[in-house]
Amino acid sequence: MSLTQLRPAPPHDPSPPKSPGRIKLWLYRFDTKSVPYALIAPFFILFGVFGLFPIVFNGVVALRNWRLDDPTLTGWAGFENFTKLAQDEDFWNALGNTFGIFLLSTIPQLLLALLVASILNRKLRAMTWWRIGVLLPYLTPVVASTLVFAVFFSRDYGMANWFLGLVGFGQETPLDWRAAKWSSWLAIATMVNWKWIGYNALLYLSAMQTIPKDVYEAAAVDGAGPWRQLWRITVPMIQPVVVFTVILSTIGGLQLFNEPMMFDENPQSASGGSDHQFQTIAQLIYKVGWKDLNLGYAAAMSWALFLIILIVAGVNALLTKRIGGDR
Amino acid sequence: MERLGKRSVRAIVVAAAATLAITGCSGQSLEGSGDKTDATGEQITLKVAFWGDMGLDKLKAAYEKDHPNVKIVLNSGEYNAQHEDLQKKLVAGNGAADISAVDEGFIVQFRSQADKFVNYLDKGGAEFEPKYLPWKWAQSLSPDGKQIGLGTDVGGLAMCYRSDLFKKAGLPTERDAVSKLWSSWDEFIEVGKTYTAKTGKKFVDSGTNMFNPVLAQQPVGFYNEQDQLQMEGGPKVAFDAAMKAINADISADLASFQPNWDQGFKKDQFAVLACPAWMLGHIQDTAPDQKGKWDIAAIPGGGGNWGGSWWTVPAQGKNTDAAVEFVKWMVQPAQQIEVFKTVGNLPSQPALYKDPAVLDYKKEFMSNAPTGQIFAATAENLKPQYLGKKNGPTRVAVENVIRRVQEGSLKPEAAWAEAIKEAEKASKA
Repeated sequence: MSLTQLRPAPPHDPSPPKSPGRIKLWLYRFDTKSVPYALIAPFFILFGVFGLFPIVFNGVVALRNWRLDDPTLTGWAGFENFTKLAQDEDFWNALGNTFGIFLLSTIPQLLLALLVASILNRKLRAMTWWRIGVLLPYLTPVVASTLVFAVFFSRDYGMANWFLGLVGFGQETPLDWRAAKWSSWLAIATMVNWKWIGYNALLYLSAMQTIPKDVYEAAAVDGAGPWRQLWRITVPMIQPVVVFTVILSTIGGLQLFNEPMMFDENPQSASGGSDHQFQTIAQLIYKVGWKDLNLGYAAAMSWALFLIILIVAGVNALLTKRIGGDR
Repeated sequence: MERLGKRSVRAIVVAAAATLAITGCSGQSLEGSGDKTDATGEQITLKVAFWGDMGLDKLKAAYEKDHPNVKIVLNSGEYNAQHEDLQKKLVAGNGAADISAVDEGFIVQFRSQADKFVNYLDKGGAEFEPKYLPWKWAQSLSPDGKQIGLGTDVGGLAMCYRSDLFKKAGLPTERDAVSKLWSSWDEFIEVGKTYTAKTGKKFVDSGTNMFNPVLAQQPVGFYNEQDQLQMEGGPKVAFDAAMKAINADISADLASFQPNWDQGFKKDQFAVLACPAWMLGHIQDTAPDQKGKWDIAAIPGGGGNWGGSWWTVPAQGKNTDAAVEFVKWMVQPAQQIEVFKTVGNLPSQPALYKDPAVLDYKKEFMSNAPTGQIFAATAENLKPQYLGKKNGPTRVAVENVIRRVQEGSLKPEAAWAEAIKEAEKASKA
């Protein structure tokens, strides 16, 4: 008797593989060739219905006269709406506001997100708590948080003015945050930053965790401090995610609507302040479409915004790649 | 993926992401109008869209009791949002409520789309014409003679004031004595100066709430009957009054119907408020603890109308006949009086101004003021004003100029020229 003796398994008589029936073969081919497409189709169908169709339809409407308050005025307008756009002060003002708020929000937002992420990437007590915590602003409904901020930045009993008073900038007449461009932009950018820093930080964090530790160790041996490690190792290595967040915040920033809308003293006028000082393009589109009831012109503005976002997002993506040291 | 190459994939991602740009701007989701037919084929649901409180709760119960096959769903929303929603549903072709309230500020916009509404004249509505104030009937009539709305209320103007704050400032508190203080708006501003000097508090809520009632009293508003902008007439008078109030430093500079304004009620930031009849319900809802502290006096400069609504039936509804029946029932005298008692909205049928139920009514919340008498008197003296197609946007544009003066970013001397410029822009938008 020997324990090591292994008995070979009795030779199994393998029945020759049945030649698969036609249906089975067809099913198999369907499975490999078509199912992937079928599975991904819902996205494209939804995109077609809710993405592509509105864009095309918007383009058609942009070339037509369509005024709700004047049903007799219909028909093709050609590029009339677009030429009107080029001379419309309100449009250029809104474009300036949108870019101003966009710069004030996106740049600090992404830089701070990077810092937060690199802090969260260290060993901390109650790590999960912190990581979930930074996401909380993102989970807050934007209308709710904006209403709170609108009170925070209110003229008469606002906390922002109270803080200013505490640090010695109290004024005889309280600062009316909505009255001037700089203060209203700052207030709106603050709301946007508050909401999105945590979200971007978590995206960065997940990318950072894929970076091997030994890269950092090697850098530390060579005498690179944390700051240098952040810029020379972390940022280049999470660059695809950085590009992604830059594009997303470009889109979000250029479409900014809720915050300026709810921040206004008189939101329903959609005028973005008494002198349009913080009226964004999305707000202007809404005003032209549903207040002035000029749907054709509003559609032309939408298309212009679409093209602007396309260009700016593209340029930003290129720039980010350069900064990240891609090539 | 490999074949496409990294670059083009990124380009596609950028493109796809940017398409979110346009699609993100699309409007609200559509809702069904809630028409449900039971297995018996009898059950009808009527959805009624309006804003604030139009006193329909009791009416709904009474009507449903008499008509067991009708179920009424009340949908109260925000004033502007409801009108905008109606407009969107009219464009979409379905989803509108069976019955929609439309306010004076929007009636011109909707009457120019009269073919999208049920024409009451086709449904035997002509019998109502003699019952209404003639101008109320005419306002909802389309240029080609279709009647899209049956009137609910009118907004005859009075001046509400805080008798407790007046007492502290050493001003008279009796409504007749207060009315005598201000026969003109100049006197009104003088009273305001006295009040502000004594108490250190502001008198009116905002410059725009000087502008609007004064404008409402002018024979011609922003637009003449040919729909041409007329800034030098009524608007100039109203604008000057607003500037005077701002220069006198008696305005709290709050934007009406906004959170800061509501807070202003509670913090006694202003002591008077130009109030059409429907404003009483708003005061009552915003500051319920100020019961007995408010009273009503005459408004400087005589009558004037601010607001007031109609019930319309969008033609796209499935049960338009039942909807018309319900509206006809709602505008009957008994129901109109019921609404007046519940929320204070003043009926637009002059016969009711002689009705004892209206004349003898005293509003407990407003220090038992005889609101029936006060508002009935203002309504009969009304000088109706033509509101042009672009009245709403023009008003917003001029109000914004007043706000800029209040914010200090525009000098009062330069304001009128700016107001003309902005109004002209709005009239052409």
